[in-house]
Amino acid sequence: MLKHLFTLIWNRKRANALLIVEIFLAFVVLFVVGSLLVYRWQNYRAPLGFAYEQVWEVSLDPGVQPKAERYATQQQIIQRIKSLSGVRAVTRTASNTPFTNSHSQSDVGRPGEKGFRPTSNVYYLDDAAADVLQVPLEEGRWFDRRDDGAPVAVISHDLKELLFPHETAVGKLVEADGNRRVVGVAAAYRADGDFANPKPATFLRNGVQDTVFDHLRTLLVRVQPGAGGALEKQMSADIRAIGPGWSSNITPLSESRDKQMKTVLTPLVALVITCVFLIVNVALGLFGVLWQTINQRRSEIGLRRAIGASAGGISGQIVGEILVVATFGLALGLLAAAQFPLLGVLGVRVGVYLTAMALAAGLVYLLTVVCALYPSRLAAGIQPAVALREE
Amino acid sequence: MQTSAAPVLQLTDIEKIYQTKTIETVALHRINLTIGRGEFVSIMGPSGCGKSTLLSLMGLLDEPTHGTVAVDGRPVQSYSDKELAGLRNLKIGFVFQSYHLINDLAVLDNVELPLLYRPGLGSKERRQRALAALDKVGLSARTNHFPSQLSGGQRQRVAIARALAGAPEIILADEPTGNLDSVMGEEIMDLLLGLNREHGTTIVMVTHDEQQALKTQRLIRLFDGSQVG
Repeated sequence: MLKHLFTLIWNRKRANALLIVEIFLAFVVLFVVGSLLVYRWQNYRAPLGFAYEQVWEVSLDPGVQPKAERYATQQQIIQRIKSLSGVRAVTRTASNTPFTNSHSQSDVGRPGEKGFRPTSNVYYLDDAAADVLQVPLEEGRWFDRRDDGAPVAVISHDLKELLFPHETAVGKLVEADGNRRVVGVAAAYRADGDFANPKPATFLRNGVQDTVFDHLRTLLVRVQPGAGGALEKQMSADIRAIGPGWSSNITPLSESRDKQMKTVLTPLVALVITCVFLIVNVALGLFGVLWQTINQRRSEIGLRRAIGASAGGISGQIVGEILVVATFGLALGLLAAAQFPLLGVLGVRVGVYLTAMALAAGLVYLLTVVCALYPSRLAAGIQPAVALREE
Repeated sequence: MQTSAAPVLQLTDIEKIYQTKTIETVALHRINLTIGRGEFVSIMGPSGCGKSTLLSLMGLLDEPTHGTVAVDGRPVQSYSDKELAGLRNLKIGFVFQSYHLINDLAVLDNVELPLLYRPGLGSKERRQRALAALDKVGLSARTNHFPSQLSGGQRQRVAIARALAGAPEIILADEPTGNLDSVMGEEIMDLLLGLNREHGTTIVMVTHDEQQALKTQRLIRLFDGSQVG
């Protein structure tokens, strides 16, 4: 019967061409949107690599204070903030804090080795970052006072896999803002947020001799659960009191995260809504064409009933036919979809494309079956005597 | 080939009434009819007298409003849709005035069609049977043609081959020569007579042609839904 259906659809390919094109386009759209959704979903499910709850970002603006005095003022501010009840830890960092889409990147490699040097996000942090961001490590440790006088770094798992694929990274040297010894490997660090792809990350320790203020003017502060407006107000007041002319902007990381999620989700939701409209149109189109086809084929269906097809057999045949049509459309769609990973069109992992292909194909099949159910029941209701009456 | 006395089809007290909200049309009234195995019976009557309706009931394509239809002595009222479909497929072959070939299928695929609904039949056997049926009607050379590439007579021969492919005991033909010129009509009639004589196939044929009807073993006349002769 399957061969018969293929023969029938192939011989009616002109009549079915529009349906095939419609299914092809629906598949391609579903595949592209599906790829983006699967990509975002897989990223969302992956660990962020740090704890953002109860962490505040404090951006400091020294105003017109002379540059030479800024570092000292900042140190006073840090000490003052540390002493506030409700504050657990403070770390000093650059502006590329989590969820801000601000990046500082550098090519990181093994010293003395030329060739492949992967680009890595670089984060300047100090020892307290271990308490503030609570980055889980899969190897080694976070930097601390034992590293005074020796430039050290913690690298992310992704960077470790690129630089030291089959060996331990701890104890090895990496070239990032000078040569630094790796003391730990972080499982992940996705400062670009829940939906972003993991990227290589390098954490560089602010040395005690690092007294420049300008590129490390941001503080990350871990506060106690329940800390709120009063602490924030106190912190702002203290900053203004210590540094006349200084101002600050305090934002909880959870707020930045929500804002960033909205930025990512809004176009995605718009895309999904557009996609749903398209799919509804395709479904209505399929339904309409099938309904019309059944009416045009009453005589043929009656004939099939007369020569031995049961009502269930006819129903199954109609569903089978639309599945064969869908298969033709999908075959073309899969050919087009296969170009995406080959050409790296969306820049996502191959597994994402494959998952999206399977999901889109499954959805197209489901859609065609749902659209065929009612027309197939109509067809099954055609009495065999129709064959004798209709021309 | 001898006609056996055992009835292959038996219609008892058949009435068929088509009912709409406002009109009730009696298509058949108190028909009692027995078709013996190997008989060639023709049915005649003016247009609208119920010939095709009678053929539909004989072919298990429709249900009577009253009365019983029995095949090989067994009433079929209690049969499920699936059982009736199976019975039609095994026992009955249909030939229609307007051929009812599927234009998008080649001749061979059209002839194979009834065999697709027969469980347990492999594609090779289906093909062999279809080829044999086409050979019987003299169309072996047209297997890959499409119906639109054939003359009316050839199309009707394809339809007969389709009816024969399943080796049915009964062929029900509804004005099989109605759309053909006299020469082609004669060809088809000779084919049906040959099938009846040589293979013992029971044939019931609706016709308007008195000459053709006289060539059959028995003539049933209908008028206004009743049997008049």
